Amino acid sequence: MGLFDDQIKHVQDFLAEKQSLSQVREFQVSPYSGWPSEASLILEEDTALELGNPGIGSMSFIIWSEGHGADHDRILLVGPDLNEIRVQSVPFCQMILVKGSFRDEYECWRELREAVYDTKLEGFMTRVLPSRQMIWCRVDREALAKGFLLPHLGAALIRSLRDVSFVSGAEVIFVTSGKEDMEKLKKPGYDTARIVGAMMKMNEEKIYDCESCEYWDVCKSVAELRMMRRRLTGELAK
Amino acid sequence: MRHKVVAICGKGGAGKTTVSAVFAKALSERNDLRALVVDADPTGGLGMALSIPVKRSIDEVRAETIRAIKTGESDRRDIAVSADYLLMEAISERGNLAFLSIGRPEQIGCYCSVNSLLRDAIEFLVGNFDITLIDAEAGIEQVNRDVMRAVEFIVLVSDTSAKGIRVAETIKKVAEEISGQNKTGLLLNRVRSEDEVREIEARTELEVIGWFPEDETIRRFDAQELSFFDLPPCPASKGVVEALERAKILD
Repeated sequence: MGLFDDQIKHVQDFLAEKQSLSQVREFQVSPYSGWPSEASLILEEDTALELGNPGIGSMSFIIWSEGHGADHDRILLVGPDLNEIRVQSVPFCQMILVKGSFRDEYECWRELREAVYDTKLEGFMTRVLPSRQMIWCRVDREALAKGFLLPHLGAALIRSLRDVSFVSGAEVIFVTSGKEDMEKLKKPGYDTARIVGAMMKMNEEKIYDCESCEYWDVCKSVAELRMMRRRLTGELAK
Repeated sequence: MRHKVVAICGKGGAGKTTVSAVFAKALSERNDLRALVVDADPTGGLGMALSIPVKRSIDEVRAETIRAIKTGESDRRDIAVSADYLLMEAISERGNLAFLSIGRPEQIGCYCSVNSLLRDAIEFLVGNFDITLIDAEAGIEQVNRDVMRAVEFIVLVSDTSAKGIRVAETIKKVAEEISGQNKTGLLLNRVRSEDEVREIEARTELEVIGWFPEDETIRRFDAQELSFFDLPPCPASKGVVEALERAKILD
């Protein structure tokens, strides 16, 4: 069992449905690697495209597993790529599936998160609001004219994640197809945030009183969290 | 011009917001640069003068950040990236200008870690603009704060009263004690004649960079809440822009 088994299954089911409708495109990492790295602040007047504007729809989460999913590095796209989008602003979802060996899941999560936060690309601005699983991006006109595409972002994220010692595979999934698909991913996004919240509470606050904890229902349904709690309280060592 | 930070300071009612609004208009006409305009006066007059709606103030960002810490929903790293997000959300944009309002502090208590996170986020923000204009709070309160350390030029706005000039002199002195790096210049408001300027120059060590008279156009724009972006050429705007040019602030 893994922390995110249900969420991975949900995402895989979503992808299977989209694949059956030929609505998923797959990209390899190598052809899209090497876009220059740079932290950018892009104002509206320089913006060619906006993804995940707070008022439009936005979702971002990382899930991982030692068993299934992300068997090889790849980028998947549901919906139009940047050069195919005909409006200035679209809903946006970025999901990252990581495969690896996670001895201390909390520490591993922190490293994965760092790898994602540190991925900054020239002409592309990302802002994230982890507590609400939101991601807000802007692509500047110059980057779009130079051919910047979502697979460039996916490749940079995968490169960054593969630099983490315990990661053996990474899959980045982008959804730009609209609000309906975003709705379908709301549940795994929300559940992921709750699991991460519970993990964070246990590890940061060191409070293990389930009765007063707002995450008790999450732990009840995720065996790995209960294991983590037992490990942290020393119950496993006894 | 890279990362220049200019603060407009002075006693209450001296005309800081008028100067800031005219300055912002001048910056909006410079397509070769990106400017960040910060309304640091809790009364929020600059946003009104420019007719820029405030989406969310820095203090609201601060309050939300404090809430996230209290509920334990985020750790320090997440809070830092969230601050970048919330600040971006708080920015109102108009062409090459980005506008931020500090707001009115409502959360009582010491939240040094939040202030430090926000300071880092704002410093990053400032680093992405060619010029940052700060319309400061009245008096010398903000001169004591960290924000002033980064200020390269302080425009001291005063009317011709002795009290106004004294406040301007105090601000210069305090700023020198804090950083010693700021340049300062006195911009006189409600001047009736050049002789009056000469008289003031004779009794202060402050460098007078310019002056402007009481102006009917400004009065009308204030009274009717018209946007200073639409301000036609007038004696006050001419005086402000000439002073900024003389002090090489617009270079």
